[in-house]
Amino acid sequence: MKETFREVPSIWTTGWTDSLNTGTWRSAMPIYQKRLAPCHCACPVDGEIPTWIMLARKQLYQEAWSALVANNPFPAVTGRICHHPCESACNRNEYDGAVAVNALEQYIGDLALTEGWALPQPTLELAPRIAVIGGGPAGLSCAYQLRQIGYKVTLFDARPELGGVLRYGIPRYRLSKEVLDGEIARLLALGIEVRLNHEVKANDLSGLEREYSAVFLAIGAQNSKTLPQFSVDDLRVFKGFEFLEKVNRGEAPQLGQEVVVIGGGSVALDVAGTARRLGSQVKVLALEARESLPAQPDELTESLEEGVEVLAGVMVQEASLGLDKISMNCVKVTLDETSPVGVLRPIPVYGTEFGVSATNVILAVGQETELTGWDSVINVGQSLVRVDANLSTNRPGVFAGGDVTPADRFVSTAIGQGKRAALSIDKYITKQPSQGYSSKQTEGSEDKVSYQEINTFYFPEKTREGKGTVSVEQRLQNFAEHKIGFSPQQTQSQSERCFSCGNCVECDNCFYFCPDMAVVKDLSLPEHYRILDQYCKGCGSCVQECPRGAVVLKEETGR
Amino acid sequence: MNMGYLINEEKVFNSGHAACPGCSEALAIRYIVNTLGPDTIGVVPPSCIAIISGPQPLSSMRMPVYQTTLEASAASATGIARALKAKGNDHTKVVVIAGDGGTYDIGFQALSSAAERNEDFIYVCLDNEGYMNTGAQKSSSTPYLAYTASTPAGKPTPKKNLAEIMAAHRIPYMATATTGYPEDLARKVAKAKEIQGLRFIVVLTPCLDGWGLADNAGPKVSRLAVETGVFPLYEVENGERYTLNFGSKGTPVSQYLSLQKRYRHLNQAQIEEIQREVDYNWQRLRHKFST
Amino acid sequence: MNEKNNRILVNGNHAVAYGVKLAQPKVVPIYPITPQTPIVEKISEFQAAGEMVVELVTAESEHSAMAACITASLTGVRVFTATASQGLMLMHEMLHYASGARAPIVMFNVNRTIGSPWGFWPDQTDSLAQRDTGWIQYYCEHGQESLDTVLQAYRVAEKVMLPAMVMHEAFYVSHALDIVEVPAQEVVDQYLPEFNPLHRLDPELGESWGNTVNQEMFYRHRRDLGLAMDSVVDVAQEADTEWRELTGRGYGIIEKYRCEGAELVIVTMGSMVGTARDAVDNLRKEGVTVGLLKVKLFRPFPTEAVRQALMGVPKVMVLDRNFAPGTGGFLHQELKAALHGLDLGPAVHGYLTGVGGTNISPTNIASLVREAISTTPVASSVWKG
Repeated sequence: MKETFREVPSIWTTGWTDSLNTGTWRSAMPIYQKRLAPCHCACPVDGEIPTWIMLARKQLYQEAWSALVANNPFPAVTGRICHHPCESACNRNEYDGAVAVNALEQYIGDLALTEGWALPQPTLELAPRIAVIGGGPAGLSCAYQLRQIGYKVTLFDARPELGGVLRYGIPRYRLSKEVLDGEIARLLALGIEVRLNHEVKANDLSGLEREYSAVFLAIGAQNSKTLPQFSVDDLRVFKGFEFLEKVNRGEAPQLGQEVVVIGGGSVALDVAGTARRLGSQVKVLALEARESLPAQPDELTESLEEGVEVLAGVMVQEASLGLDKISMNCVKVTLDETSPVGVLRPIPVYGTEFGVSATNVILAVGQETELTGWDSVINVGQSLVRVDANLSTNRPGVFAGGDVTPADRFVSTAIGQGKRAALSIDKYITKQPSQGYSSKQTEGSEDKVSYQEINTFYFPEKTREGKGTVSVEQRLQNFAEHKIGFSPQQTQSQSERCFSCGNCVECDNCFYFCPDMAVVKDLSLPEHYRILDQYCKGCGSCVQECPRGAVVLKEETGR
Repeated sequence: MNMGYLINEEKVFNSGHAACPGCSEALAIRYIVNTLGPDTIGVVPPSCIAIISGPQPLSSMRMPVYQTTLEASAASATGIARALKAKGNDHTKVVVIAGDGGTYDIGFQALSSAAERNEDFIYVCLDNEGYMNTGAQKSSSTPYLAYTASTPAGKPTPKKNLAEIMAAHRIPYMATATTGYPEDLARKVAKAKEIQGLRFIVVLTPCLDGWGLADNAGPKVSRLAVETGVFPLYEVENGERYTLNFGSKGTPVSQYLSLQKRYRHLNQAQIEEIQREVDYNWQRLRHKFST
Repeated sequence: MNEKNNRILVNGNHAVAYGVKLAQPKVVPIYPITPQTPIVEKISEFQAAGEMVVELVTAESEHSAMAACITASLTGVRVFTATASQGLMLMHEMLHYASGARAPIVMFNVNRTIGSPWGFWPDQTDSLAQRDTGWIQYYCEHGQESLDTVLQAYRVAEKVMLPAMVMHEAFYVSHALDIVEVPAQEVVDQYLPEFNPLHRLDPELGESWGNTVNQEMFYRHRRDLGLAMDSVVDVAQEADTEWRELTGRGYGIIEKYRCEGAELVIVTMGSMVGTARDAVDNLRKEGVTVGLLKVKLFRPFPTEAVRQALMGVPKVMVLDRNFAPGTGGFLHQELKAALHGLDLGPAVHGYLTGVGGTNISPTNIASLVREAISTTPVASSVWKG
């Protein structure tokens, strides 16, 4: 057979490899997964911190504010006074310093007030009415969330103005009246009925229950503890909280030149700062050692700057209320480490006695609840209202939160509890089965992004900035706010430091680092990226190069 | 507001190619050909690149690719570039994508000559520091003391400094790049595209199998090469103007070495020796950069 | 015949350069090596004077020169290069690559001894040792033939898509002056169509060349190549016929000289043919019935033509100015194979004459003829100085 002569070589290549299914090679596949940032896990209000910081970074401030107020209606307040556990948990701590979350929150909160942004009106109007007793942070937060769901809310407070500890317990130089009024007014604009100067007593409860579908009790812990060494009948001796309240009401008592504050917590230092601004010399005597003081470290720094003398690890053994001065015999102490948590057992160190005299003594050794009569209607134990994981008391339809329950005594904790209670109340009213609330704080940490998962190559070092402070001379002159919030430039610059742990910001690294082009952008998907099943070889480069742990590699079983 | 890299790409490189999972060469090829675009003719010698180019009758690149013999890449590219010129075509680009074996060793003569003649093409060397396609044998690009199948006790001689050799040819453009910095690589290819004459880019492409790395470690190791000063990223124009892009951050070279199985056999004294060598080379190079 | 033809006095190498100029290749990689250098120098002069529009690539080695030829050809332009001896040896890898790529390159090789030891002398072993590389091979006798054959080679190569090499020997032809007629450009333009290959490296086509193939593809490719090579005999004959019509000069793929009634036919290639012509004339004067068969196309070997030419001839004397250890003379070996099984085929002597460039005169040849007529051939090639 004669073959015909073919003129053309047969070995030119004319096809493409994209018909080859290299996806059959892999044993694991990358999955986009929104994971928990440690700041979010630590936040008492369950704030979606990476989300709102990212929006702020894009200068979408109103959107950032909307994300913030979903969980907390008072960002300008908490941006000033929150104890920011988010910053302690921040992964960037291990790199070049935590993100300044608190300052960023303040900027957004203040901007909202300046711009007059309104909280979203409820989309539904529901029939049931809820009674919220106590207009402090827990009560206000609960009222807000209930109103968002659509319930009618009546808010009772014994005092002439709402705010609770926010208005009466925190000095103006830490939280100005204008900011507080602005945030509360904006909340009330949602349509909340307010009954001021109206103390609700235990025997009012059954009457309330007839009128309202549920009750939230958030009356706080307003009684200052006293010490046996001091008689509070002496006009020179004050209880811490009452002192602060008087000052905030504009009725500051006359103080002598030498004020001694007993206590080591935030309240003690607030009292000290207040007394300094009223013109006195101030000494603070605290049982705890300096490094263990319950007050925040920056509060201590500010107090020292303001000339407050802090004597830590000391105890007043005896006080005598002389005509002229109050004399105290003090001694250095150590604390018994075997004592139960929350119970301080000082052990005097003999031979270290010394004397202190004062014109006034202010006791800031803790707050107690005022629950007289309540124990006959609900469970009370150790002076605190007993609640379950849903913040329900033993009495159906009666819920409680804030300092009146066993909770960490932070404003943000109270705000978080207010929200939780509102959700529980909603489930109670709609007769849905209550489930243990899954707070990010209590959830297991398997899904939390650790520092090791952060690819720090993508984050050039940038110094953390803090809020500025007014000079000490100026601070002592009046009660104007002593902290200076961020400028817009600082906000931009500092928000860029957020790693956005576990939250994709569409930096496109996964897309760029795939040698097989198996990552494509797809805006129709919530995660905005899609892995091409027919090409992905499962190398995991996208996972490794994601700067923030928002992609994980999952083994594929049974294909 | 962009959070990360921004790289413009045309769709020239296809998925479905036969590179190992996580292969640095495939990542490099992506940015080279997707930056040059389809009006390009490629030249590829025997190498992993040739394997990645596709099994007959399929190609992984939507542009003509000519596979040549191992020593002849630069000569082959010359033939194409001259033929295009003779045909009056002044727009089609010619690019060589070759391994270090075919560039530092057997292909060096043709490359040097093409550089001397200032032929009009881009030569990109994907440098994985050994003949990896044939099982990780030593090339003159293999660094000092690295294990290869032909230097099991560690290579007794230092890596040839081809970047400086090519700069000394005074070609219009010489650059070093690596896959851990994809935007920088793409930028350099785009810049080379606009220049006439012989443009040379050497890209450090860590070989996962040959260096003994995890599948996902390519970019990370390549960044460490830069941050330790082992492989600084810089550009030289006309043999004179030196520009540093990413240099040493002073990271100890042991951090780079410890990730690679090919250095597992080193003792402390050898690591220190390598550190001294790296420091010395970095100091020598630093003085060339204008401020 | 065209009035515009030019008659010039040039050496063989320069004659080649004139031929190349007429073919108008677009890319010419060059590398100097004695004794082909005058070819590429002349081409460089033509280019510098603007008589040739061509990309000259001063490659750094012959291997690179051939590599560049292949790709330039695959990009779709006509190419040329020239070499000799060591240079051809260095190209060996790329010669295979070129034929496998079906690149219709034309290369001129001046036959020179191969080291070691060193020598610059005429000897055909260099190109004959490349006979398996898939290149078409022509052996020329004088400068005019070299010029003409370059043009014929382009025509044949571009028709069958195989590379071709054209040879003449060192110094005897390369540096010997002769009167050469240079055809007019119009004649050549008629003869050589524009080179425009269907498959080429071109982004508009997007085709690639050079992927690894599987066994079946490789086998098919080799068979295709074989078919192309087999077709060359007819194509080369036709190309020569047409050249004769256009210029009056034709050479055939073989040439019979005074073979009528010959009792012995001398078979040889290259410059030896010219010397043998004189020997035949002298012997015929003396009454010895001797003829000459010139083999011009050596690859593919023109088996049919040779069998026809030598059928019935009692004796053949092959003169090989070349030598392969263990085989002997290349032409001797190929001829024996071509004549195998031929009824009434000749008895074949194989003489190694002029290996290493030793001088073989018409007198030497004449005495060899006498010896050959009166002796019985042995199978192997015999050294005859």
